[in-house]
Formats: sequence, C-alpha cells, structure tokens
Amino acid sequence: MISEEKQDQAALYALGLLGAGEDAAFESELRANAELRDLVRELREAAGNLALAAPSLRPPASLKQRIMGEITLEAKRVVPMPRRASFGWVPWAIAAALAVFCGLLALDRVRLERQLADIRAVDPLMQTTFFALAPSAPAPSGAKATVAWQPGRQSGVIRISNLPAPEPGKDYQLWAVDAEHKDPISAGIIRVDQNGVAQVRFKPVEKAEHVKAFAISLEREGGVPKKEGPILLVGSA
Amino acid sequence: MAGTSSAQEMLDQEMIARIGRRDQSAFSALYDRLSGPLYSLAMKMLGDPAEAQDALQDVFLQIWSRAATYDPEQSSVFSWAVLLTRSRVIDRLRARGRRSRVVVASTEDTPAGVTDASTVESAADTVEKNDEAARVRHVLNNMPSEQREPIELAFFEHLSHHEIAARLEQPLGTVKARIRRGLLKLRERLNTL
Repeated sequence: MISEEKQDQAALYALGLLGAGEDAAFESELRANAELRDLVRELREAAGNLALAAPSLRPPASLKQRIMGEITLEAKRVVPMPRRASFGWVPWAIAAALAVFCGLLALDRVRLERQLADIRAVDPLMQTTFFALAPSAPAPSGAKATVAWQPGRQSGVIRISNLPAPEPGKDYQLWAVDAEHKDPISAGIIRVDQNGVAQVRFKPVEKAEHVKAFAISLEREGGVPKKEGPILLVGSA
Repeated sequence: MAGTSSAQEMLDQEMIARIGRRDQSAFSALYDRLSGPLYSLAMKMLGDPAEAQDALQDVFLQIWSRAATYDPEQSSVFSWAVLLTRSRVIDRLRARGRRSRVVVASTEDTPAGVTDASTVESAADTVEKNDEAARVRHVLNNMPSEQREPIELAFFEHLSHHEIAARLEQPLGTVKARIRRGLLKLRERLNTL
C-alpha cells in the first residue's frame, strides 16, 4: 500500500515537478519499490496522454525532410569518405556500371516475385511468412526468436533461443499483433527448456488475418487474456 | 497512450528497436505516427511555429540517437516521446527567460495565425489519433475544474506546485492532493473508456 504522501510525490514526479534534490531521493525509493514504480509508470502514461488535449496540428512537410537530412548526414559522418583518387573517372564508371547492374537486378526481382507468387498460389506450404523477433530492453541481449506463420492455416511455429526460464509465478506468452484487432491476440504460453530454448507450434485464440508482428511478453503464470507485462521480444516480417 | 492499444504499443517498441539499429525507414514511420501530437504539444507550450519546429527537430534527433536506451518498463514509446518534447520545450522556455503564457483551453480550436506554418490535421488520415484526442478531451472536460486546472498548469505551463498554489490561491497541500487525484482519475477513466 502506497501512502498518500508518496502518491503525491509520484504524481509530481510524473509531471516533472519535483526539484533536483527531491527527484534524486524519490528515484532511489523507486529503485527499491516495485509497487511505486508501477504507479509512476501509470501516472506517466496518464500525463503523456495530456499531450493529446492540445489542438491538433501537423508540422510542415519540410520539417521531416530537414530531420531525415540530418540523420542521413550523421550516418555519412560516421562512415568517413574515401580520399579522392587521381583516376577521377573511375568512380563514375563504377557508378554507371552499378546503375546498369541494379536495373538488371530490379528486372530479375520482378520476374522472380512473379514466379514466387505463382508457386505460392499452388503450394500452401509456401504461404509462410517469417518473423525475426529481437530483444526489447528487459530481455537478455542474446535472446532471439523466429516465427514461421501460415495465415492460411492460422497457425505457426516459433523457435526461441537464449531466453532463460522466467522466475517462479511467471510465464512467457506469445502475441500476434494484427492490424484488424485493437489488442494483441494471445497465441499461448511458451515454455523454454533449461537451455533457454523452445520450439512450439501455436495457434492464436482469434482469427488473425493481417498479422503485422509477433511479440513475447512476461506474464502471470498461466497467461492472461490481455497483455499486462513487459515485452521481451518483438519483430515484424 | 490513450486509446493506443497494446498492439500499437508493441509496434512502437518494434520501431524503436529498429531505430536503435539505425533503420531510417522505421524512424520515418515513427515520425509519421508521432510528429502530429508532439508538434501540437510544442505549439501549445511555445506558441511559435518556428520554435516548435526547432524543438521537434531536437526531439526526433534525440530519438534517433537515444533509441537504444529506451526502457519500456518506464513508459510507453509515446509517453517517452512526450516527456522528451516537454523537456526540450521547457529548455527553450527557460532560454527565452520567460514563461510561456500560451495556454489554450483544451477544447479550443487551433490558435489563430499558426495555420500558415503548420497544417491542421486532416480528419481523413488521422481518424484513430483524433479518436484518442477526443477521448482525452472528453475525460478532461468532465473532470472537476479544481483537479483539471492544476494538472494543465503543471503540464502545459510547467508551473511548479508552489507557483500553481500561488496562481490558484490554494494551500500547497491542497494543490498536491488535487494533482494526484486528477492524474489518478485521468488514468482510471482512460483505462475504462
């Protein structure tokens, strides 16, 4: 049970109203108190929602171009430009050759995509989409998973590796994120072995025809009908 | 985020994870999703399109450079981005050497004189976002003003609880309790709507 005084502090903290000294003291309490952390997270979400009460505006399109330009420049700064060679025509020749090559590749890709579509149409086994799930912050960085999803059969197979077993009283739960559903659809509990590995066939509890991503969260033992816990692995096709 | 389903939250987290791996297309998609509400917030607090755009640029460059440090246990991607925006805006307000007084009642329309530099969101492509905004406004408008006012003063004007107490001529303890009750009520009602 959190005292009213602490709740007051939590609300002020969520709004960024505590002074520097109070902030540090409160953060040290937060580290030691999971219940207080949960309250702060919820209050922070409520405070974040206040932004939506501002009259709706959209920035001019030029701003996005400016920002995208900045990050592209930053990427270029990270990779130093090679020194200009004395054979000034060589880069242009390579660029021209690459352009021709890319054109050929693009044509070839269109041809292959047509062939693939034809094959998929006749072979249901080819109607599989693969999702690579990467770790989100609370998960060990080496954890990963791959989902092979067959929308036509409404089932899939997940393979997980390097994900340690959850603490007692908790389970990993798989979710399908579908464009037609507001909430993720549960695809069941996943249990890893002592090596942090699992390979399981699954079927979402509701029809998922437009799956955009799969995710694994840490939930109460036995699973929950609606996601509550933190996401550990997530990935789109 | 109000009305942001946990499905959307998962997609946001996935975008942030990809941005952390320097994926520009994920960054572009997240910009498209968040720039409207964040710009609206910056405009409401700063009241100046050029400054709001500069603040938004700072925020998105920060998202680009700090995506790998985002912690989903502390907040959703949306709330994280809102906090970053408020922080950048407050820096600008401090640099100006004055408090913004551009507080617009939450139900008011777009402030006059800003449509030349910004675009009012079209209803067609932002139905979902507008639904969320409508829900938040509905909840706020139905809260007692004694709870709504201190929250709005704190959030949009960044007044301290001492300043709010002075502005509303209320004891400090009362203001703190109203802020707490107001935020808890906001959270509860957004979760149940």
